[in-house]
Amino acid sequence: MRFSILFGGKAGQGVNVLSNILGNALTKKGQYVFVSRDYQSLIRGGHNFNVLTFSDKPVASNDSQIDMIIALDENTINLHRSELKKGGKIIEKEGKGNMYFAGRIFKLLCVEFSVLEEELRELKFFEENIKDAKEGYNETSEVACKVSLNKNKLKFVNGNQGISEGAVKSGVDIYYAYPMTPATNVMGELAEKQIENNNIVIELESEVAVINAAIGSAITGAKTMIGTSGGGFDLMTEALSLTGVAEVPLVIYLASRPGPSTGVATYTGQGDLDLARHSGHGEFNRLVIAPGDPKECEELTSQAFYFSQKFGIPTIILSDKHLAEGLYTMDKNSVITPSKKMTSLKRYNSYETDEFGCATEDAEKIIKNVDARMKMGKEIEKEAEKFSQFNVYGNRTSKNVVLFWGSTKGAIIDAMENLDAKFVQVLYLEPFPMRIKKEIEGKNIILVENNATGQLGKLVAEKTGIFIDDKNKILRYDGRPFLADELREELGGRLK
Amino acid sequence: MTNENINTPTIPTWCPGCYNFIILAAIKNVINEELKKGKTKNDFALVSGIGCHGKIFDYINLNGINTLHGRVLPTCMGIRVGNPNLTVLGFSGDGDCYAEGMEHLIHTARYNPDVKYFVHNNQVFALTAGQPTPTTEIGYKDKTTPLGVKLYPMNPIKLMLAAGCGFVARVFAEKEQIEWVFKEALKHKGFTFVEIIQPSVIFHQDKNYMQKFYSLQKEGHDKTNFDAAWKKADEFDYNVVKKIPTGIFYQKEKPMFEDLWPQLVELKKKKMSWRDLKR
Repeated sequence: MRFSILFGGKAGQGVNVLSNILGNALTKKGQYVFVSRDYQSLIRGGHNFNVLTFSDKPVASNDSQIDMIIALDENTINLHRSELKKGGKIIEKEGKGNMYFAGRIFKLLCVEFSVLEEELRELKFFEENIKDAKEGYNETSEVACKVSLNKNKLKFVNGNQGISEGAVKSGVDIYYAYPMTPATNVMGELAEKQIENNNIVIELESEVAVINAAIGSAITGAKTMIGTSGGGFDLMTEALSLTGVAEVPLVIYLASRPGPSTGVATYTGQGDLDLARHSGHGEFNRLVIAPGDPKECEELTSQAFYFSQKFGIPTIILSDKHLAEGLYTMDKNSVITPSKKMTSLKRYNSYETDEFGCATEDAEKIIKNVDARMKMGKEIEKEAEKFSQFNVYGNRTSKNVVLFWGSTKGAIIDAMENLDAKFVQVLYLEPFPMRIKKEIEGKNIILVENNATGQLGKLVAEKTGIFIDDKNKILRYDGRPFLADELREELGGRLK
Repeated sequence: MTNENINTPTIPTWCPGCYNFIILAAIKNVINEELKKGKTKNDFALVSGIGCHGKIFDYINLNGINTLHGRVLPTCMGIRVGNPNLTVLGFSGDGDCYAEGMEHLIHTARYNPDVKYFVHNNQVFALTAGQPTPTTEIGYKDKTTPLGVKLYPMNPIKLMLAAGCGFVARVFAEKEQIEWVFKEALKHKGFTFVEIIQPSVIFHQDKNYMQKFYSLQKEGHDKTNFDAAWKKADEFDYNVVKKIPTGIFYQKEKPMFEDLWPQLVELKKKKMSWRDLKR
């Protein structure tokens, strides 16, 4: 059974801390937990809310209807009362802080106080917090939902933590970034543990400096990674093209948010697939891969390092705010692809070059270089086939196919029960796995994307010649993620 | 990489009589001296940008990169972070440094990595055939500015002083001056900014120049005195040529970027790069 709780309040009231405590504790109690964060681009005030859904079965999304509201302010009740299920509870108490509510919620879910105490030990101000939490815990003996106990799940992490973990497990040496939501926390995660992990995290004056410094480091043979969002990535694209011609191994984390331009800075969207595939002038090789949950974040990050080192190419890991900052229970260890450092300092060039690494304008040498790049493109395609370039779920023989990529995975997996369809999640967007054609040919294809133009749909049409009917495109572009129950309805209405 | 010489087979394509030939020869002389003293070619990394100056990469056989226009400095910084044992030499033009990528100059002065940086300033975009740069004087005309340049030029020496650069120098494109300042720069720990005034023989050559240069060091200028440096920097505003001081305006060692990160200090101590690190 899914049980969902909305925590709402002003920025600065500690909504995140509250939902993290509960998410961590429930994960340790063997529950599956998912938390999405909805916050505005401000630091104090406004209205932030997190929705936490848990279940004893896997969960990676929220529903439109919630079981309980924890209101740290009045506004939360006004804004969210309508989303409450019949018989749902609103928990409020004027003048009380988030730790009081932590106590209340643990009691309501029948989780022993000692579990909460353990979580609070990880935070600052233990004495004060435990006092407030006790008060909340002892407030009522009311029970909202009895949490069943299972064995400990692995961990409760967000996509950015998955990316960081994947980078560390891949042996990242140097990470450069300029702060930009929603990629910033990878810099934070890595920076926090840089001494322990013996790597280095450097913030520079702009995304242009970031990628060019990264190129400088990468050509010395260091495993180098950078992270940004759409606007910052735009600034990097001239140098992306340089990595293409000079064959510089570089891992780029691109965490999207809704554009164009500054767009909606703290919300989610999948509008940058075209950008990731086409950015940078000229024709050159690259890898574009998109994980759908934190475990895939770890795995695909290691693959990004593998391909960048093996071929000397830029590799782009594409995510978005929903995956980057959404928290998931991870119940299996990731499978890391190891990579060797393959680059050493030699003569690199932004020009086409001769055998001495000097600039050339010679027609034959240009042809030789371009042909070598095209040949490498084929080798990358072949190498990529050794990896899971897409995942298939659901009824493999169904005449319906649901096609998606990235962070929509959570809502889709949660929605797919009892739907007669095959679900195809594309992990490799460049090079595109041509085997997908066989999976979708002649089927009733339904596309799910968090953008307005159906960019995966366009990619599929370009690669396979298969066009998806506009009526079968479920596109959401309001900056919000899909909700499982709504998506189930949308999908159900399109099945044949 | 073998250690026999630092020549490449590429024939220079600078204009006949170009001052870049002098700069190239002077830079190679000092590198060769360093090699004789025991350094190896693999101890160096050379970075150049785009413009006439950038071709220097093709004529010196050292590792490194001929990178994008305006991005020499972050690239140099990245190489130092990747391997803090390398002697990193950066070359830019006035377009490549004072126009595109100007922000990197200011920030690199602030970061202070151990990068030896040379700006070939011919006061014009020469490789694109003569457009004005931020250091072109008022009144200069070309096809793109038929009404003449209207804007007052910037003063990079003052900019570097204001940005906290620990080594601010200017020389004329003359062999002895370049060799001397390069050696001084190599002795300095941290970012060194050297502007080389290098007339463009096609687009920007003022014969008057030659009589206007004088040496700060011969005149007894105190390079540790910031206020004196500032006054000297004001003597040439890149607009009206009265007198042009050359030499080191200001020198003061301050903490180097690479010494502020324990991870990099460790690599330096072990004479390792990240590449050599086994995990």
